Amino acid sequence: MFSMTVLSRAALVAAFTALATAASAQTVRVNYIPITDVTPLFVAIDKGYFKDEGLTIVPTPSTGGAAGVPGLMAGAFDVMYGNVVSTMLAQEQGFKLEVISAGTKQFDTPANTNGMLARKGAGIKTGKDLEGKTVAVNTRNGIIWLFARAWIAKSGGDASKVTFKEVPFPQMPDALRGKQIDAAFMVNPFFAASVIDTDTFEFVAAPYREVQPNVEVGHYISTQEYFRKNRETMAKYIRAFRKGVQWYNANLKDPDLVRIISGFTKMQPELVAKLSLQELPEVINLGAVATTVKLMKENGLISSDIDLEAMTAPEALK
Amino acid sequence: MSIASSLTAELKVQAPVRRKPFRDLARTRLSGAVLIVVLLLLWEVSAARGWIVSDNWPRFSAVLAAAWRGLLSGELADILGSTLYRTLVGYVAGCIFGVAFGLLLGSNRYFDWTLRPLIEIQRTLPSPAIIPPLILFLGVDDTLKIFIIMLAVFPPVFVNTYGGVRGLDETLLLTARTFGLSRFDTLRKIVLPAALPAMTAGMRIALSLALIMAVIGEMISGASGVGNYLMSMQYAMRADSMYAAVICLAAAGYLLNRIFLMLERAVLHWHHSTRME
Amino acid sequence: MPELGRKGFGLLSVLGVLLLWELICRAGLVNLFLLPPPSQIAPALWKILASGSFLVPLGQTLGMLLIGYTIACVAGVVLGLLMGCSDYFYGLLEPLIEVVRPIPKPALIPAMVVFLGIGAGMKITMVALAALFPVLINTLQGVRGVDPVLLATARTLGCSRFATIRKIILPASLPMILTGMRVSLSMGLVLVILAEMLAAESGIGFLILDLQRSFQVRPMYAWIAILAAVGLVLNTLFEMVEDRAVPWRAK
Repeated sequence: MFSMTVLSRAALVAAFTALATAASAQTVRVNYIPITDVTPLFVAIDKGYFKDEGLTIVPTPSTGGAAGVPGLMAGAFDVMYGNVVSTMLAQEQGFKLEVISAGTKQFDTPANTNGMLARKGAGIKTGKDLEGKTVAVNTRNGIIWLFARAWIAKSGGDASKVTFKEVPFPQMPDALRGKQIDAAFMVNPFFAASVIDTDTFEFVAAPYREVQPNVEVGHYISTQEYFRKNRETMAKYIRAFRKGVQWYNANLKDPDLVRIISGFTKMQPELVAKLSLQELPEVINLGAVATTVKLMKENGLISSDIDLEAMTAPEALK
Repeated sequence: MSIASSLTAELKVQAPVRRKPFRDLARTRLSGAVLIVVLLLLWEVSAARGWIVSDNWPRFSAVLAAAWRGLLSGELADILGSTLYRTLVGYVAGCIFGVAFGLLLGSNRYFDWTLRPLIEIQRTLPSPAIIPPLILFLGVDDTLKIFIIMLAVFPPVFVNTYGGVRGLDETLLLTARTFGLSRFDTLRKIVLPAALPAMTAGMRIALSLALIMAVIGEMISGASGVGNYLMSMQYAMRADSMYAAVICLAAAGYLLNRIFLMLERAVLHWHHSTRME
Repeated sequence: MPELGRKGFGLLSVLGVLLLWELICRAGLVNLFLLPPPSQIAPALWKILASGSFLVPLGQTLGMLLIGYTIACVAGVVLGLLMGCSDYFYGLLEPLIEVVRPIPKPALIPAMVVFLGIGAGMKITMVALAALFPVLINTLQGVRGVDPVLLATARTLGCSRFATIRKIILPASLPMILTGMRVSLSMGLVLVILAEMLAAESGIGFLILDLQRSFQVRPMYAWIAILAAVGLVLNTLFEMVEDRAVPWRAK
């Protein structure tokens, strides 16, 4: 309980930090995961779109995954990239969040950038084949987990008969090779690096597009309080970010993009060049989000309804 | 070496063995160095020959090359610097609190009665468990990281200081009282020096804990430090750079420990335990 | 009645902190989603305890800890004795130990996954590796610190090498070994929780992180309280063992 007294003291510190933030609203601290999905943010920084609006962006990466929404609530950053499922879970628990712009959408592109892989020759083709087997996901109760379950159900399996194991993305190929899991839902760059190793691995499915074509996977959020207090700054932020998305979509093959991605992901340029980059959305389709929320309900993640329109910035919709 | 040599001496009496130059060589740390080289060679060969196939198992030579590049570009120095900075700040803060509370509780029974249960709970609670709630209050920046380092450093320093004060010879204290020493002087001239060996022993344990907690804290979030570097190198599929950072971190940890031992020896030059080796 | 005074003061201070916490929450000084008052955590705690659902995760965490810790203690004492009694082993192993010891063990997780996978084996190894060094170093120091006169006497009396170790060296270095084991215990507990947080699907560490991620703050605090109790019990048990094993040191 000693730590608890310290906790309450710490709460005061957090309160002061929050005050300090309100004063310097022209600086926006953005938390991100170092994956290619957040490239538009770094395009907008690199091309000076934020600067043109008079904004300074302080990006902080978080790889461990423990930070996320709690860090946002604590005022450690103002905006974060997150997956739709986590946002809705937090919203349902009473954390008031605002979705401020679109992030990642699974468009119908020819190349996959994520998907379920199994060991070669294991004969896993459908969800039915996975019953009694173990599937790796990055976190339980996250979007990867949700769609892995949904895909299993859709392809004739019973998700409750499948064991889900939390394995960090970088460890998934090793765990699959070492036969500790039977399938893994991977994302890039691990997906790209593993799917070409056809002697070892076998592509099973692309759960996102097979379960819900055009699903909204990730987006950018802030707290409702921050969004309302800094309405003007947020409008500028959303405008500049949108320009970043537009430049990104128009220049998918540009070598400059490789430089930018390599810069914030720390991946070697040769590896970045091998990834098939997919287009990213400019606006949010609330219908698609509603479908995902329905899926969450069916899988017992949430029980009440969520007013999606009320928690989404109007600029993000058109 | 006293015991080892006496045991081997005993062995010699029982079964006299002819001395060979080879045996004298084996007695030095050379064999240990050879063992390390063999292990590293095994690492190199296992990766090069494909005995172990994994993106997370690069050749050792690739790790060395990555370390060289990182050292030349100053990248590794940067990340080590920020980790060491946080480690030291948290460590010093934890030591100060540990010593202060140890002295206070060790010498005043009312403080002892009141605060000890609280401290017992804090010190037996594994610190990673309170990181998730701490994020809710301290965010994910330096405040959080330094704070969790402090929380990990506090227990061993406190316990040892407390034990050192409690284990004090009663006659010493009585003598001090007879000579009319003030409370402060008793603390400064008698209690502190007597508890110092125990205190430094606690601080030495705390040093490695501090480094571990710094890395754990950085793994969770943040843009700098070895922990963050280890994570981002994994996500960037650059295992060679990751191991290079691990090696540098180990070297830094080793140096910190050496420096600590030197300081300890300088401070405790009068105490017999430092003369042992 | 100092004993009664001690307990009374202790109880009062714990209750005082809980009360203060409750008041801070009631006064609206903190976000209740982040820090609910004890009065709201208590029902969550009761629910976990009464339903018995704490048994499985607790068993898993403790099981992992005990296996890893036992391995570390046995290996640490054996290696420490070997190195302390033989220059050959000392020369062979000391450099390796000096190289591996300062590495913060969490940094080794990726490499361990390559060799040991993500299962219990990896976690047990992590715990064992972290808990090994304090025992080993302390055993070594304990052995080194044995009074040479004692050893000379043993030699004069014609004790065998094994008997010397068993009857003289081991008892003489026991206090040091136990100190090392105590440090190892808390180290092991830290590592087992961490390992469960980094890659697991069960255990207390996983639960705390999982509850935080799904924003169920009340049960999360309840589990932290359970973990605090576990730590306290383990520590008390260890102290009891220590008092029995080295009665001459007990106060």
